[in-house]
Amino acid sequence: MIRRKLSLAAAVVTAAALSLTACSGGDAPAADLTSVSIMAPFLEAQPPGADGAVQKKLEEITGKQVKINWAPNASYEDKTNITLAGSDIPQVMVIQGKSPGFVKNAQAGAFWDLTGKLDKYPNLKTTYPDIQQNASVNGKVYGIFRGRAPMRTAVMFRQDWLDKLGLQPPKTVEDLYKVAKAFTEQDPDGNGKNDTYGITIPKWGALGSNSPYDVIEEWFGAGNRWTERDGKLVPSFETDEFLQADRFIKKMVDEKLINPDFATFDSTKWNEPFFNGKGGIIVDVDSRVSVLINLFKQADPNNFQNKVGFVGNLEGPDGKLHAHPTDGYSGFLAVPKASVRTEAELDKVLEFLNTLNGKDAGILLNNGIEGVNFTVVDGKAAPVKPETDASKAVTTDIKSYAQLGMNVAGNQFYPVKQPTDYEQQVFDKRTDVMAADLKSAVYNPAAPYVSATYVAKGAQLDNIVADARIKYLAGQIDEQGLKDAIKLWDTSGGDKVKEEINKLWQDNK
Amino acid sequence: MKIHNTRGGRVFDAVNYVFLALIGIITLLPFVYVFAGSFATEAEITRRAFFVWPEQFTLGSYEYIFATPAFTRALVTTILVTAVGTLVQLAFTVTMAYPLAKKSLRGRNVILSLVVFAMVFSGGMIPTFLLVKDLGLLNSYWALILPAAINPFSLIIIKNFFQELPAELEESAKMDGATEIGILWRILLPLSKPVLATFALFYAVGIWNDFMSPLLYLSDNSKWTLQMYLRQVTAASDLLGTGNVDPNYIPPEQGIKFAVIVVATLPILIFYPFLQKHFAKGMLIGSVKG
Amino acid sequence: MAAPVVEAEARAANRPPVRERKNGRFSVHFAHYKWLYLLLLPGVVYFAVFRYGPMYGVSIAFKDYVPFLGVNGSPWVGVQNFTDFFANPDFPRLLGNTLILAFLNLGIAFPLTIVLALLLNEVRLSVLKRTVQTLVYIPHFLSWTIVASLSFLLFALDIGPLFQFLNNVMGTNIDFLSDPAWFRPLIVLQDIWKNTGWGTIIFLAALATVDQDQYEAAIIDGAGRFRRVWHITLPAIRSTIIVMLILAIGQMLNTGFEQIYLMTNALNREVADVFDTYVYFVGITQGAYSYSTAVGLFKSLVGIVLIFGTNWLAKRFNQSGLF
Repeated sequence: MIRRKLSLAAAVVTAAALSLTACSGGDAPAADLTSVSIMAPFLEAQPPGADGAVQKKLEEITGKQVKINWAPNASYEDKTNITLAGSDIPQVMVIQGKSPGFVKNAQAGAFWDLTGKLDKYPNLKTTYPDIQQNASVNGKVYGIFRGRAPMRTAVMFRQDWLDKLGLQPPKTVEDLYKVAKAFTEQDPDGNGKNDTYGITIPKWGALGSNSPYDVIEEWFGAGNRWTERDGKLVPSFETDEFLQADRFIKKMVDEKLINPDFATFDSTKWNEPFFNGKGGIIVDVDSRVSVLINLFKQADPNNFQNKVGFVGNLEGPDGKLHAHPTDGYSGFLAVPKASVRTEAELDKVLEFLNTLNGKDAGILLNNGIEGVNFTVVDGKAAPVKPETDASKAVTTDIKSYAQLGMNVAGNQFYPVKQPTDYEQQVFDKRTDVMAADLKSAVYNPAAPYVSATYVAKGAQLDNIVADARIKYLAGQIDEQGLKDAIKLWDTSGGDKVKEEINKLWQDNK
Repeated sequence: MKIHNTRGGRVFDAVNYVFLALIGIITLLPFVYVFAGSFATEAEITRRAFFVWPEQFTLGSYEYIFATPAFTRALVTTILVTAVGTLVQLAFTVTMAYPLAKKSLRGRNVILSLVVFAMVFSGGMIPTFLLVKDLGLLNSYWALILPAAINPFSLIIIKNFFQELPAELEESAKMDGATEIGILWRILLPLSKPVLATFALFYAVGIWNDFMSPLLYLSDNSKWTLQMYLRQVTAASDLLGTGNVDPNYIPPEQGIKFAVIVVATLPILIFYPFLQKHFAKGMLIGSVKG
Repeated sequence: MAAPVVEAEARAANRPPVRERKNGRFSVHFAHYKWLYLLLLPGVVYFAVFRYGPMYGVSIAFKDYVPFLGVNGSPWVGVQNFTDFFANPDFPRLLGNTLILAFLNLGIAFPLTIVLALLLNEVRLSVLKRTVQTLVYIPHFLSWTIVASLSFLLFALDIGPLFQFLNNVMGTNIDFLSDPAWFRPLIVLQDIWKNTGWGTIIFLAALATVDQDQYEAAIIDGAGRFRRVWHITLPAIRSTIIVMLILAIGQMLNTGFEQIYLMTNALNREVADVFDTYVYFVGITQGAYSYSTAVGLFKSLVGIVLIFGTNWLAKRFNQSGLF
């Protein structure tokens, strides 16, 4: 055991030089891969069984025995670390993001550097090189990213309230303020009581976590975590626009247009005020639109249309649209060097992933099995009704199998046909709005870069500013206090983070 | 014990009963809510802040979690592992506690100090994992039982109980020619039923609630215990790993969470009343003497 | 003093003089106790293998641990992690917050467990006793997430039932969830709700071993309810209380992570940050495994000193300690 560790450590030291040796590490060519082991998280209440229909079909499509080791998402990082410390390492590991732990392991040589290796596999060659760059560690691609729709920001509001008050859906942040004010002061539910407010914001911790604060700041032009000013990258919170946006939010807090317990409100209850007619606006990802509609539908299947309205990103005070995108990926599939030892073996594994990312597998992982749980209607996957035990099992399983999908060249599966015409219209509108907003997306220019100082103390540093932001909005500190906190971020290590990020940015330009 | 019919005694009893009944209700209500919620629709859970019975009864959540055989299998597995594990761990603990209760035993203090030390210090997750792997226990249920075979805390308490038992019981048994093992088996264990029941419960709950061991040692999903599922639905969303929550992910509905909690909690709750009869008062020394 | 207590003391004095036996040769001693040593063997092997075998893992605290490189493969950094920890400007605040919470728990939650056990013990109505006993331990099985969401519900600004009740009683308008002054009371309250019932189990087991003859004798002597509790019940479970107290003191820096993390927000973080949440932050969120191990090691050192210290004190005052 110890010896293996030491030899690995030695290998790491000379990793670059060794890569050629590693190619011919074994004299014999890699035996044909008959089985592939994968470690993946599951996010549902339970992982799929090893003998389910999806599993069988997956093995049929890939022609391999596929051994998937599902681990609960709640402790995935622990499981990853323990797996890397052991000797029974899977050939493919789903990595959920560039966590400091992953970066450390990757830089120590735990995973194959796939930079430049993916383009010869047709299904692994990405049509989104920017996102591949975002998912890299300082330009080194340690895995095949799992593509996610980059544009997801939406403003949801009670359509019935809007109609009753004769208002138009908001287009600018100023409109948002007006609608929120009307929702608060003009009795939108018509019960004669002053018991409604505009926007619901839940307790939301970190910076750059797509919180409503981050989104509104970006609309004001503060950028997406980092932004270029005078030829240098600076954190968004060091811009004037950031302060301007927070002043705007504070005004809404002070006028009680936002729930007063925004600092503590339980995020799992986010839908409640909206559904119960207390708070009429939510700023979040557009998929919440469907969740909200479903709630209304469940409560009253005959009258749920026109309860939920939504628009995409809002124009800032400068009259421009700075739309807020995510980084466009959710982790990646990495190949550990300890289990895949030679280039030849790597090639086999990548071929497998190539198949896994093809159309057949893509449909299986995301839609299920045609004829069992869905049929294709107008190019869309329509769920089979009534549900059978077999269809239910497949539908449940694919929620986990979807974790294996990469879709680096766009979605390789059918969009899901919505159960009613109204829901289909909403879904199509969501797609259109997001596509339009994507053109105005302002990305995080520092997404690919990992600063050593940030890895070591970034989470604590960011807390300084994130907490100050909430305290400022709650009226516990004034604007000077917020500025002081931002200074403190700089002096506590932020200056070094800026220096490192800018250097990486310049080097990779 | 009938002699407490003073006025003050009756008032005390009344106040005490009401107070305890209130505490019982306060501790029960949240579980009732969880139980009721597991049969409710998402719309109802969202609309009503608290209820003890749903207006619209649905089995949807249970149908969802029992859609695949995984959950049932995990339930059976957990019950079996807990039963066997509790016996094994209790046996390990009692056999070690008994000699340590003898103050005259040489080396006792050294061993006890090392036990206390091990209670506070541990080598951590990864070295323990490597040990379990080297012992060939990976993917074996023994990996859930043996690494926790003796809880130092339980060991010390059980040892103290043994120490408290009247020495003359043993002395007289020795006169009759009993060996130490015979004394432990025939005299101490029957006398220690409340204590053994207590620690049986502690060990059972420990295994039942253990989430880390199955996570680390069982990579074969079909061997999993219930906590692997429970943890997934009860972990706070921002506790998930590093906060890299997949944006495509829509968290399970509340009702499903509640149903999972009910399925994973009810069996161990039912277990308690069976042990409870061993806590009955006065069955100990008094009865032996009498 | 009531007769039974005297009797108990007499019994203690009658115990065989154990010290004398220690002076013999070891082989004689061993032969005499061979069965006991045999019984001891599985436990000793267990501790050697499963508890001390992995103990080399503490060396992580003195390294820059990378999981992929393993415990032995990661480079040494000496006491760097410790000096970083003590030099951290947050250290005094973390220590203060941790200690205050620890003392609140020891001072309030711990005695309440005993009180509840005694109250339960006084119940003669066996249906009520059994029912309440079963009910009070249910919260132990509900996760902190549930407890937290329950607290959010009860103390919700303006609409929570406890928010309204307490503010009416006190004539205030306090947001308990964000007011730093109310953070600790909330945590202690949650702790009491979740763990007090469960904690009574061990004391109830101890109470079950109390010799019933003593009560009858005391009643004949005319001792009232409270005198019986004071002179018979409490002394009978005194050693259990002391052992539990010593163990609780040894664990006092372990305030738990999940509970506090869930109740922390931007407005109360000043008083909420404790060692355990800090370890989570640096260890999990920032991947500083070695650093968090160093913090854990520091906590363990404090714990062991506290355990041996209080144990020594207990002995000084002629009480039974851990051993």
